[in-house]
Amino acid sequence: MLLPESMSRIVIVGTKSRMEDAINAFYSEKSIHIIDHTTGDDGLSIGTTTEATSKASERLIKVRSMEKELGINKHTKTADIAVEEVQSRISAGDVEGVEDEVLKTVDARNDLTQKITELNSKKNTFELLKRLNELTLDQYSGYKSLAVLVGTTTDDASSVSIEDAEVFSSFDKKEGGVVAVFVKKENKEKAFAALADVGFTEIQVPACTEKVAANDACAKIDAEIEAANAEIEKCNQTLEELKEKYMSFLKGCDEELAIVVEKGSVPLRIAVSKYSYVIDAWVPTKKMDSVKANLERKLGDDIYVEFQETRGRKVEETEAQEPRFQNVPVKQNNGRIVCEYEYATSLVSVPKYNEIDPTFLIAIFLPLFFGFMVGDMGYAIPFIILGAYGLKKTKHKDWRAIALVLFFGGIWAFIFGLFFYGEMLGMHFVGGEWEAGTWVWHENHVAVGGTTVSWDWILGAQFPSWFTDAICSVGAWGQEDPNTFGVGVGKLEDVAFLLKLSVYIGVIHLLIGLVCALVNVTKQHGVKEAILEKGGIVFVFFGIIFLCLALTDMMFSKLELTGGTPLIELVLAIVCLVIGIVLNAKAEGGMQAIMSLPEVIGWILSYTRLAAITMSKAGMALAFNYIIFGMIMTTKATGNFQDGVEIVAFDPMGGAIMLIVGILLFCFLHLVVWTLGILSAGLHALRLQFVELMMRFYEGGGEAFAPLSEVRKKTFFSKNANNIKEV
Amino acid sequence: MATAGTEGLIAIGAGLAVGLAGLGSGLAEKDIGAAAVGAITENPSLFGRAMIFTVLPETIVIFGLVIAIMAIFVM
Repeated sequence: MLLPESMSRIVIVGTKSRMEDAINAFYSEKSIHIIDHTTGDDGLSIGTTTEATSKASERLIKVRSMEKELGINKHTKTADIAVEEVQSRISAGDVEGVEDEVLKTVDARNDLTQKITELNSKKNTFELLKRLNELTLDQYSGYKSLAVLVGTTTDDASSVSIEDAEVFSSFDKKEGGVVAVFVKKENKEKAFAALADVGFTEIQVPACTEKVAANDACAKIDAEIEAANAEIEKCNQTLEELKEKYMSFLKGCDEELAIVVEKGSVPLRIAVSKYSYVIDAWVPTKKMDSVKANLERKLGDDIYVEFQETRGRKVEETEAQEPRFQNVPVKQNNGRIVCEYEYATSLVSVPKYNEIDPTFLIAIFLPLFFGFMVGDMGYAIPFIILGAYGLKKTKHKDWRAIALVLFFGGIWAFIFGLFFYGEMLGMHFVGGEWEAGTWVWHENHVAVGGTTVSWDWILGAQFPSWFTDAICSVGAWGQEDPNTFGVGVGKLEDVAFLLKLSVYIGVIHLLIGLVCALVNVTKQHGVKEAILEKGGIVFVFFGIIFLCLALTDMMFSKLELTGGTPLIELVLAIVCLVIGIVLNAKAEGGMQAIMSLPEVIGWILSYTRLAAITMSKAGMALAFNYIIFGMIMTTKATGNFQDGVEIVAFDPMGGAIMLIVGILLFCFLHLVVWTLGILSAGLHALRLQFVELMMRFYEGGGEAFAPLSEVRKKTFFSKNANNIKEV
Repeated sequence: MATAGTEGLIAIGAGLAVGLAGLGSGLAEKDIGAAAVGAITENPSLFGRAMIFTVLPETIVIFGLVIAIMAIFVM
């Protein structure tokens, strides 16, 4: 389960005349990973695509361009369509038929759009000429000896004097000026020069023979634009109808043709001679026999399959092969649930063929750490619901990965929240305890002037003992002061305990990583090499642990280092460290050996983030709960005293407005904590896998197993399940 | 155990430990983060490795936090 699936290499030889059938047979096996052929001096060359493939790719381009024109994309929902129907319609020339229909409408629409653009530019010119209302449009053209200069000006042109010319102008401070100058052709340049003083820019007036005013021409153009727009609307409607009519067929064609083209390009990856083809391929070892049998059954004497090797995990074995066969594709070997986490592993990289696939460890520890850090029943329930909904609904791998962590992490958070922390929405279930026949609230409690709110205080009733007994308390872990605070581990009260626990979790997690490292090197090179390469760091790791234990005993438990357990720990630490440093110095050099010491402390302390994130969430929730129950919602005096302070009880009937405000604020503030929980707990849980665990042993950089197989989403086989014609 | 007079000093020390360590992590992470976002924009498959590099300095602040917690709860 931990190593990727074992792979075998085969050679397939067949007659070229049956190559198309053979490729179909390869696709139906779904477990043949082709090794690309590189031309060498073996007398074989790379194959070529068939004519049918070129035709199919031509059609595919047509189909995709039509899909673009009609606005069909991968999000468009369409009915599934039978492969046989698509195939028969494609060979009957339906793609071309649909293209004619679509293109006709699209062209018409494009022409109309073009026409509207032209009309608009014409209209803009006429809008300007409207201001010279003494001229009609036919007067701007049709002269033999006269030049007509029409344009806009930035200054008033009425004062411009041009020899032998008639000037019509209009000026408005906001809109600028318009001028039309009728001048002898030989004086045209002079007129230009004079007009340049008023910022003249020439415009072309469209030729017009009718005696019509610019005003009327504008109205006419408006009517034409309106008519064209109506036509475009009609075209759009037609296209919409065409989309409805053909979208299922087009998406089916897209998929079918893409498969045909992909199959058609297989010859480009294999070796061919005049009459035969040769394929080198990887097949999962456990499917070897069935693949061979199936291919021989389908193609009879026209195919020959020969087993070459089953690749082991040793590096020497790989290096002995020619370069083309050195890289083995990796098929991760995980169960139904664990394989969902393969995406998380692939974020770093695909594992190598001869190393442990960390997906299994991620699947265990990622949700576990997430749950430990969230550790709250109240936040866990929405996580579980959201995760389950996500897993049911979404197919996108990013969202699925998030939903998966939310679902399983939520379950762990529920378990930790209920049994370990005894907490819901930042509040312990139990806030007080029986002492000599009376229910005593601890001093750090809202009831007696503290800040902590608990569920039994809010509800005004104690939980039954079978419930509270199920919740663990720090006392159960051999601490000096049992029931330090209520029942359940206090995230803000039992900090030292949580820190210790995080470090122990870290030690176990890192140890698993180091064991994996040892296993990897053993598999790749042998036991001796594993001890030489990774043994050093393992000894250093144990040495540091013993050293820390001895130092903790000395500093915190005030024990002498000269005798008893601390001395044993110190001696073990020194022995382990010396062996570790010597092994490391031999493997990686003296400097590296010394550097590894603080590194190991860093790894272990990094796990205290488990306690730190837990505390930060609890701190926020504590503050919010105190704001809501201690400051906003009302309390009533009970008349009982504890340590000289009167005990108060939660009073939901105290004030309706404050109750509503309190509940709204409660929901909002806890939503904030919950959202931050996804980000911080999720990211840190992932980081502990990626950095702390995987960097101990994981190298990655493998090539993913990509067998020949058809991916059909929109098309299905209606007549029988087997799409390959039996031969 | 700390006396009443030294409690304040311990609290200040704890605050400095977390605050300065956080500052250090932040300074280190800002450059890596900017480079990581650039790299991911070019090639989204680098996300995992970019994230590893970005969160590496985070451990510094955890060290500060451990010291702070030890100062408050253990001293």
